[in-house]
Amino acid sequence: MNVPIIYTLCMILFSVGIYGIVTKKNVVKIILSILIMENALNLFILMIGYRKDGIAPIVQPGMDAAGFAASSVDPLTQAMVLTSIVIGLSMIALMVAIAIRLYERFGTFDISEIKDLKE
Amino acid sequence: MNILPLFVTIPLAGAFVVSLFDFIKDEKKKNISTNIFASLAGLVLLVISIKVIGSAGVYSMGKWKLPEGIVLVLDPFSGPILLITNLISFICILFSFDYMSGYNGREKYYSLFFLMVAGMNGLVLTGDIFNLYVFLEIASVASYALVGFGTMREEIEATFKYMVLSSVATAFMLLGVAFIYGFTFNLNMVSVAKALGSMEAPVGVYVALGLFIIGFSIKSALIPFHAWLPDAHPSAPAPISAMLSSVVIKTVGMYSLIRICYVVFGMNTGQVPEVLRVLGILSMMLGVLLALGQWDFKRLLAYHSVSQMGYIALGFGLGTPLGVIGGIYHLLNHSVFKSLLFLNSGAVYYRTGTRDLKEMGGLGKKMPVTGATSMIASMSIAGIPPFNGFWSKLIIIMACIKSSHPWLAFWAVLGSILTLASFLKVQRYGFLGKVKDSLRNVKEAPFMMQVSMITLALLCLAMGGLMLPGLYDLIFVPAAGIILDQAQYLKLVLGN
Amino acid sequence: MIELLLILCIVAAIIAIESKNLLSSIISLGGVGFSLAIIMLFLSAPDVAFVQILVEVVMLIILIRATINRDVTEVKCKREFFGMIFGMALVTVLLGILLMGIQTLPEFGTALVNASAESVPAKYYIENGLAQTGSANIVTGVLLDYRAYDTLGEATVLFTAIIGAIAILRKKKTNE
Repeated sequence: MNVPIIYTLCMILFSVGIYGIVTKKNVVKIILSILIMENALNLFILMIGYRKDGIAPIVQPGMDAAGFAASSVDPLTQAMVLTSIVIGLSMIALMVAIAIRLYERFGTFDISEIKDLKE
Repeated sequence: MNILPLFVTIPLAGAFVVSLFDFIKDEKKKNISTNIFASLAGLVLLVISIKVIGSAGVYSMGKWKLPEGIVLVLDPFSGPILLITNLISFICILFSFDYMSGYNGREKYYSLFFLMVAGMNGLVLTGDIFNLYVFLEIASVASYALVGFGTMREEIEATFKYMVLSSVATAFMLLGVAFIYGFTFNLNMVSVAKALGSMEAPVGVYVALGLFIIGFSIKSALIPFHAWLPDAHPSAPAPISAMLSSVVIKTVGMYSLIRICYVVFGMNTGQVPEVLRVLGILSMMLGVLLALGQWDFKRLLAYHSVSQMGYIALGFGLGTPLGVIGGIYHLLNHSVFKSLLFLNSGAVYYRTGTRDLKEMGGLGKKMPVTGATSMIASMSIAGIPPFNGFWSKLIIIMACIKSSHPWLAFWAVLGSILTLASFLKVQRYGFLGKVKDSLRNVKEAPFMMQVSMITLALLCLAMGGLMLPGLYDLIFVPAAGIILDQAQYLKLVLGN
Repeated sequence: MIELLLILCIVAAIIAIESKNLLSSIISLGGVGFSLAIIMLFLSAPDVAFVQILVEVVMLIILIRATINRDVTEVKCKREFFGMIFGMALVTVLLGILLMGIQTLPEFGTALVNASAESVPAKYYIENGLAQTGSANIVTGVLLDYRAYDTLGEATVLFTAIIGAIAILRKKKTNE
């Protein structure tokens, strides 16, 4: 049984994010945890497309097509990660806007004190 | 010309254009012009979605052929969902005319509304799992902002809760997509389905499946993943509550779940349907039990959404053609009567300013249209013949018995009786009985609100007609075929 | 090397979550983001690394804007023992399942080695990207041509978030 160390570390980073979301009571801390989770996820996608000793998927002048095709890393995962980074940024931006409003309305970032809605 | 891309481009263009109406400084003029613009765009969407019913087609984005590009796929399963999404959104736009007069920033409201519709149409039509994630994100981000549109304490708290849980759900989905890509190196549904079919599925595929199920269950608020729904749906403005409860949780949650697990993974027998059945029964019973104790009208409706999603999950979870047909049929019916109920609650709130059932009473006399339509919707959701809810519940119960799960049928009947009890309470305290003194001066809801409620009430009656053999064969039989037979989907997309 | 940087990331992430001072949390989060960008460079993804740095900077500014001047930089945390145990248990189960999943993934660094252009789109992009899209950077070719529809969606999410943030933070609210 081989344990791929790099993937494992990436998953630990993801779990740290989940742990923060589950246990933290501070709005900003929760947002940070979501950010950590998303970062780990982006890295994981990128790792899946990696090829050992691969070169960046950019055709340099004077490079022959066959050699490039044999050594380039996966461009599709990079495109996916670019998309998901921007999506993550937008989500965090909206979340921060909500957090600012939340502070205006409740005067605190502590979600154990933000309990207007009944169970 | 292929009309499939129009389902995304029209609402997107609508969203961009309507946000420019900000330049009109006079609030009244702005409201009228945005109303006209939004309802026209909604009407166009409705017309083109009626046109596609019963047809199927594939559109390649940017003319790139399949493994490389992204395709839009219209199949018999996505067609009805597309129609109901655009139908409900058009009616909710009509309802917003008067209801949203209590809020400013009308152009932002419509812009977010159209973005939500664009996201849902996009994810229903797409044939690519990463693209599904992207459009799901559009629909979700727009819905976070719409839940918090009132920006008061309650709305902001609800939307924060919703957003945190929902972003965990989308993260799980993206992780699932990553796993799938790691095994198949493909993103479009057809190639993934073929690649997964040809390999001995490793553990990782099941992990991805589990991640998808958890993610989409959070999105469709199946118990035990429902915590956000009873806060988020009541806090939104009424037309948005109607949209969220009647279409967003269906498209973003249940439709995507079935599309991924049944069609892409091809796992329509065995453990996955079993999980769906268990989640379905749990949501069905616990949802209705929690609803019984509620006195807040909209909160009660929100718990009933959880419960009715349970019926839909149960129908799909049976994995038989009849069960799946019941699931789709109930999905369409629930969209109609639940949006009607939320619009009723909105009309009551608009005129009386309360959502508490204890403070209502005798509203049926003061607001005859609202009272009558809410009666029709209550009977539909409780499954009283001849309204639409009866037929779909009947199909689900029959499917339970036919696939030799009599206990499931028993729970479904019991859930239906409890639903009836809960809505008798709503009618008794809200619309029947003596008029309270504080409600002496209540008037009937404005004209456009009445129009939208009456339309939905008529639909509650008319949709029983989908049981007629011609329509049944046209809509439900092919949909069940595509869900339960992966080969049909592959054939439709690949075309040979 | 990547492993070391990842461990650094994890340590920074734990500090960010556990630190009592919100500002130092946010700064440690910057540590996570920037080491991630370096890892991305090691993974031969320069475009992604640039975007990651850019986004990280924007993110830090937004987050600091949200916390500063709100005199709540100190977190009073009553550590809830039960909550922590529950969180730990949940995360352990999740991590176990995920580790089971990643063991069956193809080995790290073997992507595209034996792939054929007919069945794997990524290979197709590498082989035909320059000729078909005219872009020397294949990632750009994928983003703006083969999968431009995704990019439209991405831009739309950004637009949605901005409209949403404006709507949430708008001046006048309901008629109350």
